[in-house]
Amino acid sequence: MLTRGTVVYIGQRVLLIGFTVLVVSFGVFYAVHSLPGNAFITERVHGQALQALLHQHGLDRPIVVQYWDFLRSAIHGDLGQSFVIQGEAITPLVIRELSVSMELGGAALLITVGLGMLFGVLAAIRQNTWVDYTLTTFAVIGYSVPSFVLASLFVLIFGLWLHDVTGGAFFYPLVWTGTYGTLAELSIPALALGLYTSGQVTRITRAAMLDVVQQDYIRTARAKGLKPVTVTLRHALRNAMVPVTSILGPLVVSIIAGSVVIETIFGIPGLGKEFARSITSHDYNVTVGVFTIFAALIGVANLGVDLLYTVIDPRIRY
Amino acid sequence: MATTVVAALPQEYSGGTLAREQVSLWRDGVRRLRRNKLALAAVIYLAILVVMSIVAFVWTPYKPNAIGACETYTTPSGAHPFGCDELGRDSLSRLMVGAQLSLAVGLGTALIVLFVGVTVGLVAGYFRGPVDSAISLVINIFYGIPTLLVALVLYTLLGPGLVNIMIAISATIWMDMARLVRGQTLSIREREFVEAARASGARSGKILFGHIFPNALGPIIVQATFVIPVAILTAAFLSFLGLGVAPPQADWGGMAAEGLQAIRYVPHIVLAPSIAISLTLLAFNFFGDGLRDAFDPRQKR
Amino acid sequence: MRPSLIKIGGLFVGVVGIVAAAACGSTSPSSSSNSLAASQVMRFPVIQDPKTWDPALMDAEVDTEQMQNVFDTLWRFDDHLNVIPDLATVVPTQANGGISADGKTFTIHLKQNVKFNNGDPMTSADVVYSWNRGASYHGAYASNLSAIQGFSDVFKAGKAYCKTGEGSANTTACYTGIEQKLAAKDPSFTMSGVTAPDPNTVQIVLANGCGWCITAWSLQGSTGAVVDQKVTGADPVNWWSKPGGAGVTDGQVGTGAYYLSSYIPKQSIKYKVVPNWWGSPKPTLTEVDLDIKDPSTQSTYIAAWEQGSYDLVGYGGDSSLPNADILRIKGTSSESSQLLLQPKGRTTWVSFNIGYPSTGGPFLGEGAAAKGLRTAFALAVDKNGLASTVCHNLVCAPATGGLITKGLIGYLGDGTDPLAKFDPTQAKALLKQYDPSGSLTSNLKYAYNAGGLNDPVATYLQGQWSTNLGIQVSLDPHPDASAFISDRLGGKFVMSRDGWQFDYNHPQDWFDNLWGGLVVGANTSGFADPTGDPTSNAVYDPLVAKADAEPLSQALPLYNQLSQLLQTDVAYIPLYYSVGEFLIHPYVKGAGSNTQADFYWDEISIASH
Repeated sequence: MLTRGTVVYIGQRVLLIGFTVLVVSFGVFYAVHSLPGNAFITERVHGQALQALLHQHGLDRPIVVQYWDFLRSAIHGDLGQSFVIQGEAITPLVIRELSVSMELGGAALLITVGLGMLFGVLAAIRQNTWVDYTLTTFAVIGYSVPSFVLASLFVLIFGLWLHDVTGGAFFYPLVWTGTYGTLAELSIPALALGLYTSGQVTRITRAAMLDVVQQDYIRTARAKGLKPVTVTLRHALRNAMVPVTSILGPLVVSIIAGSVVIETIFGIPGLGKEFARSITSHDYNVTVGVFTIFAALIGVANLGVDLLYTVIDPRIRY
Repeated sequence: MATTVVAALPQEYSGGTLAREQVSLWRDGVRRLRRNKLALAAVIYLAILVVMSIVAFVWTPYKPNAIGACETYTTPSGAHPFGCDELGRDSLSRLMVGAQLSLAVGLGTALIVLFVGVTVGLVAGYFRGPVDSAISLVINIFYGIPTLLVALVLYTLLGPGLVNIMIAISATIWMDMARLVRGQTLSIREREFVEAARASGARSGKILFGHIFPNALGPIIVQATFVIPVAILTAAFLSFLGLGVAPPQADWGGMAAEGLQAIRYVPHIVLAPSIAISLTLLAFNFFGDGLRDAFDPRQKR
Repeated sequence: MRPSLIKIGGLFVGVVGIVAAAACGSTSPSSSSNSLAASQVMRFPVIQDPKTWDPALMDAEVDTEQMQNVFDTLWRFDDHLNVIPDLATVVPTQANGGISADGKTFTIHLKQNVKFNNGDPMTSADVVYSWNRGASYHGAYASNLSAIQGFSDVFKAGKAYCKTGEGSANTTACYTGIEQKLAAKDPSFTMSGVTAPDPNTVQIVLANGCGWCITAWSLQGSTGAVVDQKVTGADPVNWWSKPGGAGVTDGQVGTGAYYLSSYIPKQSIKYKVVPNWWGSPKPTLTEVDLDIKDPSTQSTYIAAWEQGSYDLVGYGGDSSLPNADILRIKGTSSESSQLLLQPKGRTTWVSFNIGYPSTGGPFLGEGAAAKGLRTAFALAVDKNGLASTVCHNLVCAPATGGLITKGLIGYLGDGTDPLAKFDPTQAKALLKQYDPSGSLTSNLKYAYNAGGLNDPVATYLQGQWSTNLGIQVSLDPHPDASAFISDRLGGKFVMSRDGWQFDYNHPQDWFDNLWGGLVVGANTSGFADPTGDPTSNAVYDPLVAKADAEPLSQALPLYNQLSQLLQTDVAYIPLYYSVGEFLIHPYVKGAGSNTQADFYWDEISIASH
């Protein structure tokens, strides 16, 4: 319930997020402006012509002045214009890509938590059988294989091999259509992104369920005559949610980081792919914009997770 | 009927018997580790890896950078058990040299994280108050920054080079260690032997590193072991994105990235380093798991 | 009862099955008839967003390859690199009276009934406006107009206006201001050498003789292209990124057969055909869809092409495809005929730091030791070995005939470049002679921009110098191309990768842009005259100026002299000429490349398949 303590807590966290975003934005701004090179120099545009271009875009002013300008308009939601695509406004671009990334990340999170907990439950129920060993090893393998390798293998298997084997009837389409893709096009990248972290969820779920299954109140519930299935799913799972929720924050961070590679490999027009390109193409405001959005996302996700605790375990209060 | 787990010893009883308890914990831990088959297999694999990288300093089947040692894109065969890459260099030799780099990155990063995280955590947990608040704020800020992105920006600023890569990666994962050590310090500092040491006038530094640190050693070592695979994986990511060590230095991530383009033509170029990375990560993860189970006093066995 | 594993497993398989079924593609029976397909939409990937599509500012190949279908110039190149009329009725010569006797006045008659894609008619006033605009905007290719009377004043006026004048606040102020000046026909923004005696005639007067002008003015998608003043004046900054078409007053309006119908940044670009287009050949394709991809995903979208999601790969300047895919496709019998290897007019070489003393290095200046060491390093590289090991003799060919690419005017002939020889014995001897202790050639670095063939080439070079000279050169890859170019142009290198892709088929394009001290020169290696001044070259500069002013037949021997000058001075190590790779399905008729650019979209049709 929304007590005064909770409101104060949320307020404090929001302040922390805001402060983090501010620090991050300045740090990144300074860092990318210090990198050698710029967005305008080519073999034909250099010397005087280059200086003129830099001047027009205000890039020859002191960094603090540029940052102050950027901050003033960013607070109003205007991230400025791209240097790489002349005249293109950054804010709508970033918002569109953010929604694509959230679509991908959300699907990956579903797979992570859903698949991870499913496997964890199965492994716990069939503890020390071949099911357990297979699933546990599968989970560890999941976060030991670099995701770019996993993604490329998926492209090979689902895109090409499946296409050849079924004569073109079933296959994962290798081209992302439109902004949000189709469900089929989302499935494989989400799997590649979510598989990596689902292994951790599996192991934690398994451990938590094993732990809980042995506790007294479970035995009491069983003694009361409730069916084992009900007991397992209702009580044990509910309590296993706490440790899973505790790594939800780092999970989101992992997914955000992984999206940089996955979006690039699958050609998904999202924020991660944007970030990867904007550093070397010197599109400064894009880099800063993407970075701060990510930082804000992580802060909000962590806050959400902490609030989720209160729902799952009513004993936890702020 | 399952038996309940053995509860941890309450902290009040940990006073004078500290020395003996510590020894038996270690011996107990090693014994438990030895019985964990997966962890054992991991240790054997890692030992082989270390030996191979040391050997690579003086000998490899072919010179790892010798272009044209064989035809480009040769598939695995007798003379070249892992085939050759797109410039005709022997893959096995490059794998051996790459092992040196991966292990160096992993261990180096773990050392940096150990140094920074332990120091910060000890200070925050021991002195508490405003010092702790400030440090915790910094830790929280770092947590709010996406890890890969910090590594990317730092790398682009510092440039290629082994030490720079280690620094860039450390900056993204030191917080877990700091938080762990802080938590440990917070609980250990309440123990009677620490009170006693303070009362007898010992300086803070001696208390921190002489008393608190040794008691937290178990979890610290486990955490450090888990840093290694994360570092190796992040380094592979950076290589994949084109920000690894300068060529022609062989490094697993770079080899995998180069081989990815040829995955449909000659899969062995990407498979060999990818399997190497994966096995090494698996080994460190299993080893770390084993260590944690071994040192956890609440385990059944 | 425990939840049945079988049930759960079955559910999982079912989910995968549904996902796979949703991804169902269509199986297409192939019928090789010559009839046209019902859908005349062509689809292919490009590797980046447009930097700009404004002809006055464009310089990226991916942009010009698209805009050549939207904007027209007075003349253009045909499929064999010959100059043919586009908006003009003929190619002017002295014989047909188009060029005056002194070679300095061009009289050009325009085709009648030319319309912009929004319906506006095109007249000579639009040509005059567009060329003045091209000069005023002082873009990358403004120098194509540099021989015209009045050009340098307009060029300087535009630069001053935007750098220090009223338009210096930002790009909007700069471009808006210039458009206002052009609309008001401000004399300082009007080239005296470009006039329109009547609505169908344009007259151009040059300040001096110019043998390369018609070729340069034919460069597609550049400063010579004709734009609609009504449109560019309405939105000077963003007109080119908005859709064109009938009745549009502020979008992408040109005289070409296609116009932009939608552009979603970082995602896709779509073009539609202009109904009842005035020109020829009459277009068959109704729509051209481009997906904006990342260069690192080339293998994935090549796979998509193999599956049929794309009609071709390689258009839009994306003709450097991964070796492994090329080799695989060449080895696949059903696909090898769909691979087109077309030489690209691009040469790659190694530049030495000859004229920048501040950076240092053993190659500085014209002394015997420096030249000897340069020769040693040049002779120690096996160029044939490079082409076969790194390019598999498919995607590049050894550069043995000088720096101008084989097939272009100015090529000296196979095997004529002494620097292309491979002579490790001689190389070692020279090294021993000029650096017996090895102190001069220690700590050398080879700088290059990472990516594509550059990485294996660099590794190969390093191996060659190590094996054949015993010298360890360390590699200095720059993941950031702009930082690399900045360093190279500033002379901050000892050895650097260098290269040039031709803009138009005339040696002036090479010699005016790469060496010497002329205003537009980049002088990448500081190739200097004996006084060591990298900003001027007493031998080179006058020769270039003379050659530029002559018609080609007289200029060619002079340009060849310049080539030989570079060779005797050992200004470079020649490496390879590039070959472009195109993957074209057999049902795409009329697609290809003329070495400089893709074939136009109005030549292409999709057969039924």
